[in-house]
Amino acid sequence: MPIDDNLLHAWVDGQLPAERAGDVEAALARDPELAARASAWRAHTALLREGMDAWLAEPVPARLIDAAARKPDVARWQPWFAAAATLVMGVALGWSGRDATLARAGIPTTFAREAAFAHAIYTNDARRPVEVAASDSQALVTWLTRRMGQTARAPDLTSVGFELVGGRLIAGNEKPTALLMYENAAKQRLTLQWRKLPAGTDEAQFRYDVENGVGVFYWIDDACAYALSGSLDRRQLLAVARITYGQIAGPDATPPAK
Amino acid sequence: MAVTLPHNDLVAAIPRLRRYARVLTGESTRADDLVQDTLARAWEKRALWQDGTDLRAWLFTIMHNVFVNQRAMARRDARTVSLDDDENGGAAWQVPVAATQFTRVELLETMQSVGKLPAEQREVLILAAVEEMRYEEIATVMGIPVGTVMSRLSRARDKLRRMTGEPSVQLKMVK
Repeated sequence: MPIDDNLLHAWVDGQLPAERAGDVEAALARDPELAARASAWRAHTALLREGMDAWLAEPVPARLIDAAARKPDVARWQPWFAAAATLVMGVALGWSGRDATLARAGIPTTFAREAAFAHAIYTNDARRPVEVAASDSQALVTWLTRRMGQTARAPDLTSVGFELVGGRLIAGNEKPTALLMYENAAKQRLTLQWRKLPAGTDEAQFRYDVENGVGVFYWIDDACAYALSGSLDRRQLLAVARITYGQIAGPDATPPAK
Repeated sequence: MAVTLPHNDLVAAIPRLRRYARVLTGESTRADDLVQDTLARAWEKRALWQDGTDLRAWLFTIMHNVFVNQRAMARRDARTVSLDDDENGGAAWQVPVAATQFTRVELLETMQSVGKLPAEQREVLILAAVEEMRYEEIATVMGIPVGTVMSRLSRARDKLRRMTGEPSVQLKMVK
């Protein structure tokens, strides 16, 4: 008898009644193309389970435990989601078509673009801009060091009037990205983001771009990509970027030329 | 009709809710926001929870609806441009792969390729293959007929098969 897709799925997914399994297996033995298809479906099913079952072991953020525990008074998502979506769209439209230029310049463009997105989203999140607050800066640095797999530093930007607000981790495609947020007395916010690159990645000088009022200086140092983003003018942001670079690279470092 | 929800079961469901949310949103931070919104919605709607029925399926149904509503809202704001870029496959697909899995080329490739499927096909595939939901349950969660579940599943699986036959994923780093 012919085997339709429904039976084949049910066989792959273990949802086939036992009395039908013989029909499917007989058809697979007769038809090599059907067998190849079923075999690929099964292999992908196993791979997806392997890849995604690993997520189940990840620690659960405290805010989700809290959300499971009680009835909240108001739905908090509607205003901020709309705001964030609008910002992301604005930034995304501004960035389209830019990748080719940046790629020619040797900069990992996905990182720079993501930095602009993340800056727009998290600096505008009034309720929850960071996961770990600066009030426990030692714990913040320890946590980022552990999660990034390399020594993390939170640059001191008080000399230019910016205090550390806190930090968070953002998922990247291959590597996590660390984000630190700073704020000055005028409530302007900066974010410093960084991500590990493959060992041996060439250093890159400061590069600058601005979209929708968000300026981004980004550079590569010691196999790490950094991005400093903020709604400051270029001169101010460059000053902060030089200080940041100097503190990350150590006291002896000379800032890259610009 | 219930006046409260089984707290321990809710907490136990969080890892699976996070996983489903990642499949829907394509990344981790938005996924956790979606889980939080789903749990809040579940508490608002707790009078509709039937004690003794499958909590996971009920929560997944809520999450699906919250996600669809949020996306519709985002699209209204963006007017003509789709935020999720479903037509081109998940442009925003940034799901993590555990460090211990980095050396598995075919696993990485599959995890990346599933992100290129249209969102509705990806959702059906993950609910069937990874979440091991019965097809009727998937139809309930997504509010579609079982026949649609099956046809999306066929398209998803055949597309995935075609994609992973092609050269390996492009790395994000230029240098």
